[in-house]
Amino acid sequence: MAVADGFAEVRAHAGRTALQTLGVVLGVGSVIGTMGLTAGGRAQSLKFYAESGGVLKCMVWSKPLENVRTSAREKASLGLTMDDVAAVRASVPGFDLVEPTVERYLPVRTARLTRNESVSGVAPRYQELHELLVERGRFIGDDDIATRSAVCVLGATRAREYFGSDDPVGRTIRLGDTMYGVVGVLKYREFYWNKAETYNSLEWMNELILVPVTALQVRQVGAGSKSIDEISMRLADRKAAKEAVPAVKRLLLARHGAEDFQVYARIDRLQQMDQQGKVYDLTFMICGLISLIVSIIVNANILLASFTERMREVGVRKALGAKGWHIAVQFMCEMLVVTGIGAVLGLAVGIGFVHGIAALLGQTAALTPAMLVVSVVAAAVVGLVAGFYPAVRGARLDPVVALRYE
Amino acid sequence: MSDPLLKLAGVWKTYDAGDVAVHALRGIDLEVERGEYLAVMGPSGSGKSTLMHILGCLDTPTKGTYRLAGEEVAELSRGRLAELRNRFIGFVFQAFNLLPRASLQRNVELPLLYGGVGGDERRARSREILARVGLGDRGRSLPSQLSGGQRQRAAVARALVTGPALLLADEPTGNLDQGTGGEVMELFDELNRAGQTVILVTHDPMVARHAKRIVRIVDGLVEGGERAAA
Repeated sequence: MAVADGFAEVRAHAGRTALQTLGVVLGVGSVIGTMGLTAGGRAQSLKFYAESGGVLKCMVWSKPLENVRTSAREKASLGLTMDDVAAVRASVPGFDLVEPTVERYLPVRTARLTRNESVSGVAPRYQELHELLVERGRFIGDDDIATRSAVCVLGATRAREYFGSDDPVGRTIRLGDTMYGVVGVLKYREFYWNKAETYNSLEWMNELILVPVTALQVRQVGAGSKSIDEISMRLADRKAAKEAVPAVKRLLLARHGAEDFQVYARIDRLQQMDQQGKVYDLTFMICGLISLIVSIIVNANILLASFTERMREVGVRKALGAKGWHIAVQFMCEMLVVTGIGAVLGLAVGIGFVHGIAALLGQTAALTPAMLVVSVVAAAVVGLVAGFYPAVRGARLDPVVALRYE
Repeated sequence: MSDPLLKLAGVWKTYDAGDVAVHALRGIDLEVERGEYLAVMGPSGSGKSTLMHILGCLDTPTKGTYRLAGEEVAELSRGRLAELRNRFIGFVFQAFNLLPRASLQRNVELPLLYGGVGGDERRARSREILARVGLGDRGRSLPSQLSGGQRQRAAVARALVTGPALLLADEPTGNLDQGTGGEVMELFDELNRAGQTVILVTHDPMVARHAKRIVRIVDGLVEGGERAAA
């Protein structure tokens, strides 16, 4: 009944209600808008990660030393080697894949063109680790590694450049001085962070020229060389990250005696992003909070100003047997109806904003259950706090005084 | 009858108006039996409004005792007074005082709501009582859609819906023209004939004439308690 009375009051004072809800609308809207943007950004990152090896992917790259003068120990370091790979595999638990990559810049010759390209020597698990998809033919297999066979797999862009619309599988290309038989072509991949973005973040996959790591080592690097350029790794699970990633750093530092490498873990990056997201969320949460406090003051004020015009009604209700709490509940309910409407509108405004931005940037709009919680809590807090004083005053009103009021 | 419905003995009501104490009532003695039809008359400022507030349990005496249906009112808490008003007293006001944004049905249900009566019973009883005052088909109307006489009859329905022992009317025809005022008075007469105790508070002799007993209040005292000719 009291809630229905609240709606009747709202209908009777549409303009006043609009003013009353404004603070709640803006407060809830701004908080939800921000939450949506940070959640949307996070969703986009996760989507990108999922397309290219998942959040569990880690990389170790060679890194030139920063200081000009290097110690003897530092000079002695060979950089990343196959022995490092073996050491990580043997003594750091928590990774289910540890794969070496050797990179060489080689002249590539085909019937159509000759150009210097980056050629990667990889192992079979490299495909799984980076989520590469084979369009035609096959990927590099264990036999290829064992026999150092001169086979290669091309990214989609390279295949098109070298062979046009012909099927490259079964054809050969010359890498350096050696002829390599093409055994597979990768699927064309693309990912744009937003609509305005022209850079394909997965283009590197399309530009791959992959050969067995052993073949590259024996033919181009020099037989017996154990030097490699990067290590790709995958964590067994999220929990492993905390121990395993620093353990790799410690192991390599001990083996090299210098920090001539760089370890990157997507899961750390994700945590960093979450931290940043929290800072944004908190900033706008405070802005929202200020709107809500202003809204409380405005609402309490409006309710008190309208109080005198309601005195007679309170008197009549009391004459009919309403107790103090009946009046208090009624005032509270009216206030909650108003702030509830504000919260629903704020939710709509916030969600609309998130979808608008998402549509503009071509991102996915992310909506989280926390948004609903925020709006419900905001409505309840503003309603209860703003309604409290008027409700207590109404409850205490002397019925004789109230009835006499003209 | 063994026990009167209500009994005031030596009731004083004193207000503080700054430094001066204003004695609105100065020792009122009054008994009303069940089934009586009483008019309280007096000029403005005589204290009859204060007396009505005390009779209606809206206010308590400063001094003296007031027993209503066997209960001593002077000592009760505000919450208990609200319960007493809800159970024993039906108010009819000069200005009708229907809630403007609620339908007649909801206006009439209100005392039952405050009395803790469940929804189905509330609707059934309010429908029945609206039919009894001749507004059975207007339950969904808002007060503003009714004539003055209809509004006052709706207010009477609201006063009666809890089956109160006492119907207390304050200048019930004050806002009505003579014709519709007469109709409302006939409604009171009819209710009293059916056994309803009615107290009219008025300054209008034409209204008071309907009552079977008239009490005059002058300067906070009962002037005379003569029985009107039946």
